[in-house]
Amino acid sequence: MKTMNRRLLLLFALMSLMLTSCSRDKSGAHATDGKVKLVLNWVPEPEFGGFYAARDGGAYAKQNLDVEIMGGGAGVPVVQMVASGQADFGIAGGDEVIMARARGVDIVALFAIYQTSPQGIMAHASRKAKTIKDLLGSGTLAMEPGLPYVAYLKKQHRFDGVQIVPYDGGVARFVNDPNFAQQCFITSEPLAARKKGANPSVFLVADEGFNPYVGVVITRREMVEKNKAIAIAFIHASREGWRSYLDDPKPANATMAKLNTTMDAETFAAAAEAQKPLIETPETKSRGLGTMTKERWETLANQLVELNIIDKAPNVDDFLVSVD
Amino acid sequence: MSDFADSPELHLATTHAGVRVVIDHVVRVFPGSGLVLDDISLDVPSGAFVALLGPSGCGKSTLLRIIAGLDRVDRGKVCLEAPEAPPRIAYVFQDAHLLPWRSVLENVTLPLELLGTPKTERRANAREALAKVGLSDAEQRMPAELSGGMKMRVSLARALVTRPQILLLDEPFAALDEITRQKLDDELRRLWIEHPMTVLFVTHSNAEATYLAERCIVLSPRPAKLVLDMPIDLPRTRHASLRAHASFAQVLGSLYDALLKAGTS
Amino acid sequence: MKAKFLQTLMPPIVSLVVVLGMWELLVRSLSVPAYLLPPPSAILSAGLSNATALALASFTTAKSALMGFFLSAFFGISIAVVLGSSRVLERSFYPYAVFLQTVPIVAIAPLLVIWFGPGQRAVSVSAFIVGVFPVVANTLTGLRSVDPSLRDLFRLHGASKFQTLFLLSLPHATPSIVTGLRVAGGLSVIGAIVGEFVAGFAEGAAGLGIVVLSSYRQLRTDLLFASVFCASMLGLLLFGATNWFGWRMMRKWHPSEKV
Repeated sequence: MKTMNRRLLLLFALMSLMLTSCSRDKSGAHATDGKVKLVLNWVPEPEFGGFYAARDGGAYAKQNLDVEIMGGGAGVPVVQMVASGQADFGIAGGDEVIMARARGVDIVALFAIYQTSPQGIMAHASRKAKTIKDLLGSGTLAMEPGLPYVAYLKKQHRFDGVQIVPYDGGVARFVNDPNFAQQCFITSEPLAARKKGANPSVFLVADEGFNPYVGVVITRREMVEKNKAIAIAFIHASREGWRSYLDDPKPANATMAKLNTTMDAETFAAAAEAQKPLIETPETKSRGLGTMTKERWETLANQLVELNIIDKAPNVDDFLVSVD
Repeated sequence: MSDFADSPELHLATTHAGVRVVIDHVVRVFPGSGLVLDDISLDVPSGAFVALLGPSGCGKSTLLRIIAGLDRVDRGKVCLEAPEAPPRIAYVFQDAHLLPWRSVLENVTLPLELLGTPKTERRANAREALAKVGLSDAEQRMPAELSGGMKMRVSLARALVTRPQILLLDEPFAALDEITRQKLDDELRRLWIEHPMTVLFVTHSNAEATYLAERCIVLSPRPAKLVLDMPIDLPRTRHASLRAHASFAQVLGSLYDALLKAGTS
Repeated sequence: MKAKFLQTLMPPIVSLVVVLGMWELLVRSLSVPAYLLPPPSAILSAGLSNATALALASFTTAKSALMGFFLSAFFGISIAVVLGSSRVLERSFYPYAVFLQTVPIVAIAPLLVIWFGPGQRAVSVSAFIVGVFPVVANTLTGLRSVDPSLRDLFRLHGASKFQTLFLLSLPHATPSIVTGLRVAGGLSVIGAIVGEFVAGFAEGAAGLGIVVLSSYRQLRTDLLFASVFCASMLGLLLFGATNWFGWRMMRKWHPSEKV
């Protein structure tokens, strides 16, 4: 009986040890020797082109960085992974960053790929809609539940008669149903739909007044406090990569096409071209690619408060970190 | 009225009367076990009370089921000669096999319900049958509340409710205690005398066979052959005290002797 | 009577209080971030401040789950009756029923949207698919376990197949059917919520599945837990209702139900 109890106790102790050890990554360690992990929030696509260009073109190597890029898919918990140290850097939406800060997640923002949010709604041109409002009176609209822009649109206009369904990430239903509209990234789904023979008209959510930074590079607080040099190096190299990608997307596109076989070379090229005006603006020309302003973050935070998604706007100075 | 009188299902019998059972060179083989019944021939006159004796597993139940029409023969044939076809058969199992979700009354009405008898009529007949076995007070109770002996009585009542012309019983009282068993033996005989019908009673108790039957048929162990066919020389009216009587011991003794001579233990 | 009531209710309530208390204490003392594991107090407050939304969502999910459950019950029992009537049929089709059981509903759900369109219909079908197999399997077991002597009795008295089914086999199978329904109840809720992930309405009549997705998206882990709790409550309600139904049907005669 006694040996039985002792054995059970040992087993229990072993199990607890295993559980605690596998939850936390041995994080900070590798960051100091130049190995960093970047986790994406979608599959490799032109929206991440600059990072692949930086890696393949040697920009990271020049800074003594060995960057591992982890592609994602739907539902990758980027914020949690960065906060817990499973990844050093991650890509998240600006609204996600604010929500995370409001819930007490201590992440900071370093760089924004998109100055203009690529979030959009696409519908068939045959519906002759001129703005998003025209699409809210009939038909079906696929949106992702919980995304702040949905709440924003709901507040601006009433959803009057349109059937809202969950967004499934593809364009199959869109192509087959002329009354079907859906959310999209203007660099992505409309191109795929056009390829399948549909004729979509696309409306930017940003034009409605909701324009968060998108493709924001985040890291955990610890990184900028203990290893700021690495963070700065990473951002500078990434900026270089983006410059190179904007000038010539072909090499990085080839790399990404091997990882993402669902998109063909033609679409890669078209998407890379379509996203240029969203990334490079007069502001980035003067202040550098990826630059972010306090005012825009504050606007976004206030919008989220007004939409009752967060209670209090977090202090932007706490998380907007300059890497210059 | 005349229309009703013609259809045998709805029109309930007013009398039992009996059925003559002719078993003619019956052979039964089971695929796994081999030969079970080896050329059995038997002639049971209408209204007779016959006991079927033999060691466990010899095939008595198989023969009974064949007579009931629940199993087939591989050779030979079984003939039930009744004044009006088809003959009404009732079967009593070793376990009472009552439907647990039905009350006692509803269990007894079951055979009539399956025949399509209207509700009031079948309930009246069920009550009559329950009265015959002395369970009128129990009609609303559920089988789970009853003792083994009472359950068997309900099973008997269910067997009698269609006024069967032939009653087949397969070791019905074997699972009950001695006292209950003897009581039910008496009741069965009384019912047979009151309502003449052919009764085939399977048992492996020589004493029970002697007490109950007019005639004893004995089967050998598998493959079963008919080894003995002996009349029981005891009066028609029998009381429990008969078991202690000398004549009973005598008849029982001669049954043993005959069994020994026939070469079965 | 009151003592027995307390006797059955007290132990789980006490253990619940103890577990919740330890949870609250651990989360606070170890400063676990709220977005990873919120304390019960935060879950409760999230639940209360979103009470109307959660109630409405629960109602929507309940409708789909119930619809799916009734479909599972009706078709499950019917399929079992058909399969039970012939060994050949059973051997031919039962393996497919088992196969359907193993295909994950998350993979089937998108197909349901294509066939039924988004909304309650697809969600109910999702709930039905998840719940039907336990009903079939248990009902079939019940139907096949009828005492052969009773079958003989019915045959002897000239019972039609219909009579044997309704007067013997189905009543005999009732305890097994109730067992199957008990399992199907909880599964229907799961099936409804998974269905909602893909096929539910995202606005207005949004179900618990949508609340789960939405609160996950907004890093509101406390609300996520609260909606999961509501889902469990739904499953519990259905389970309790099935139990009560089983008790009503069998209290007079089945040992499992007699108090």
